[in-house]
Amino acid sequence: MPEHRDGRAVSKGAASPEAAAWKGPTYYGRSQLKPSPFNAWVVGGYIFLAGLSGASAVVSTVAEAVQGERGAGIGRKGRYLSMLAPLVGAPLLILDLHTPTRFYNMWRIVKRTSPMSLGTWILTAFIGGAGVAVVAQLGVDLLGLKWLKRIARLGSAPAAITGAGISTYTAALLAATSAPYWAADEKGLGVRFASSSIAAGSAALALGEKSRSTRRTLNAITGIALLTELVATAVHHKNVKAKGVGASLESEWAHIEEAAVLGLGVLLPLGLYVASRRLGDRKRAGAVSDLASLAVMAGSAMLRVSTIRIGQDSASRPEVSLRFSQPENLPKKRRA
Amino acid sequence: MEIHPFARARDYPDSVFHDVIPNESELTGGVTIEPGKQYGFFTDTTVCIGCKSCEVACKEWNNLPADDIGLTGQSYDNTGALSANTWRHVNFIEKKQALADDTAERPARGVRDNDQNAFQSGWLMMSDVCKHCHHAPCMESCPTGALFKTEFDTVVVQQDICNGCGYCVSACPFGVVALNPLDGKAHKCTLCYDRLKGGLEPACAKACPTESIQFGELSDLWERAATRVEDLHARGVTSAYTYGTPDAPGATGDMKYLNSFFLLTDRPEAYNLPAAPTRPSNRVAPAFAAGLSTIAGLALAAAVLFAGAKTTRD
Repeated sequence: MPEHRDGRAVSKGAASPEAAAWKGPTYYGRSQLKPSPFNAWVVGGYIFLAGLSGASAVVSTVAEAVQGERGAGIGRKGRYLSMLAPLVGAPLLILDLHTPTRFYNMWRIVKRTSPMSLGTWILTAFIGGAGVAVVAQLGVDLLGLKWLKRIARLGSAPAAITGAGISTYTAALLAATSAPYWAADEKGLGVRFASSSIAAGSAALALGEKSRSTRRTLNAITGIALLTELVATAVHHKNVKAKGVGASLESEWAHIEEAAVLGLGVLLPLGLYVASRRLGDRKRAGAVSDLASLAVMAGSAMLRVSTIRIGQDSASRPEVSLRFSQPENLPKKRRA
Repeated sequence: MEIHPFARARDYPDSVFHDVIPNESELTGGVTIEPGKQYGFFTDTTVCIGCKSCEVACKEWNNLPADDIGLTGQSYDNTGALSANTWRHVNFIEKKQALADDTAERPARGVRDNDQNAFQSGWLMMSDVCKHCHHAPCMESCPTGALFKTEFDTVVVQQDICNGCGYCVSACPFGVVALNPLDGKAHKCTLCYDRLKGGLEPACAKACPTESIQFGELSDLWERAATRVEDLHARGVTSAYTYGTPDAPGATGDMKYLNSFFLLTDRPEAYNLPAAPTRPSNRVAPAFAAGLSTIAGLALAAAVLFAGAKTTRD
C-alpha cells in the first residue's frame, strides 16, 4: 500500500457501493481530521473497567434493595468490584495523558459541554461513594464490625447513581468529537456502551457465584443486557451507514469488532447461558456460567477498544470524514 | 497613487525605528486593537500567490521548528498539514483538466475546469489556519480550561494548564489542533495573542504581500468579504463564496460563524475543508440520555428479576 511521508497509509476508496464514501475531490488523500491521540488499549481498558465497576454497583445495589439481607452477598461483591474503576481505571486515564504530572488540572473547572470534564466529576463522586462503602465493607469483613454494614449499604446508593454515570458517560465522551464513526449516532453508541456495561457488571458479579438461584438471576440480567446490545449494535451500524460512514465498518478493526464483540462477547455467552441452565451437574453448570461471564467481559472490553480504533480510522480517512460532513447529515432541528 | 493604504503610516516616513510604534496595527492593517472587540482573519484565496510568507512569519514569531524537511510530491506543498508546530499552512490545489473518463464521477472543479489558462494557471492556493470558531469545539471539549476565549474573541491554549489529554484534537472539525510529542501539550494558532496585546497585527497577516490574509474586526472583515464576493461575481468569477461567515458553508450545525473565514472558488472539500461541520457538544445530552435510560431500563429489569428470584438458598 502506498504511504504518506509520515507513514500513514494512503486511503483507499470504499470497497462496497453501500458504504458510499466521498467520491469528490480530497486534498491528495490527506486526512481532513486529526485522529484522537488516545491509546485505544489504555483508554478502552478504562472505559471497560468504568463500565464494569459502575454497572456492578448498579446491579448489586438493586439486588440489596430488592432482596434485603438475602442480597447482601451480591452487595458485598459489588462493593469490591466497584474498586476496579478507581484503583485500575483512574491510573489508566492518567497514564494516557501526555503530561500526566498535571492530571489534577482536570479538577480546575466543571464544563457541561465537555464529557471529559463531566466524567472527571462523576468518577470523583463515584470514588467517594464506592470508597466509603468498600472501607465499611472491609471493616465488616476484616474486623468483624457488624455495625458498619449499614454504612456499607448507605455508601452503595450514591455509588450506584454515579455508577450509572461512569458506565455511560464514555459514550458521550466519544460521540462529542468530530470523528465520523463516533459522531454519526451518539444515541446508538450510548445504548451500546450502557448495555455492554450492565452485561459486564452483572457477569462479573456472577463469576464464582455459589448460589444457583442468584447465579441464574444474574445470568438472566446479563442475557437481557446482551440482547439489548445485540439490537443496539444492529441499529447503530444501520444509522452509521445511513450517515455515509459505512466505509469505516469495513476497516480491519470493524472485523475484529464483529468477531470479538458480537461473536465472543454476545453470541457465545448467550449460548453458554442456555447450556448452563440445561446442565444438571451443578459444578459443571457453574463452570459453564463462569466461562460465559469471562467471554462477556472480554467482549465488553473489546467493544471499547474496537470502537476507539474504528473511530480513529474514520477520522484519518478523508473519504469518510468529508462524506460525513455533508449538509444532508446536519441535524434537522437547529437551535436558534 | 497613495503608497500607504492606512493614513497613520504617513507619520513614520523613516525606515529605521528606535522604539516600538504604539498601535502599530493601525499602520499595517488599518485596525485598532482593543480588548472586548471581536477580531479574526479574512483569508481571500483568490489573491494568494502561494509564497508561504505567512508560514515563515508564523514560525519566526512563534519560534516554531520545521516539521519535516523533504518533498511530498504534492504540488508545491511540502508542509503537508497544520500541526503542533505549523499554524499556517498553504494548500496548493492543482486543478487538472477534465479527463474523458473522469468527468462522470467528479464534479467540475474550480473556476475553470476545462483548461489551465489565465486564472491562477489552474492552481488554487489557500493559506489555512485555525478557524477560531465562535462555538469552538476544542474549547468546549477541554476538561482543564486550558483552552479559552481571549478578550479579542480568539481561542488560545494556555500552555501552563494543558495536561495533554488530547480531547481537543478529536473534537476539532477542521483537524487543526495537535499534540506535540516533545512537550506533551496541545498547540495551535493563537491568532498572535501576544502581538494583539502589544498592538501589533498577527505576523502572518502583516507578512502577507498580497493582502490575501487580512486581519481586522470581524464585522469589518465580513463587509470586506461581501464586497469582494460581489466584485468577483461582477467580474465573472461566479464560483466565489465565503466559507465560515454566518449562514455560509463551514458555519453550519450550530457552529454559528468562524472568526477566521475564507473566500473560496471551489467546493470546500477541494481545500480539505468540511462542507458542513457540526458542533460536537450538541451530542453530549442525547448520548447521556440514551445511555442513562438504558441503564435505568436494565436496572428495572434486574429489580424485577431479583424480586421474582426463588427465596430458597441452594
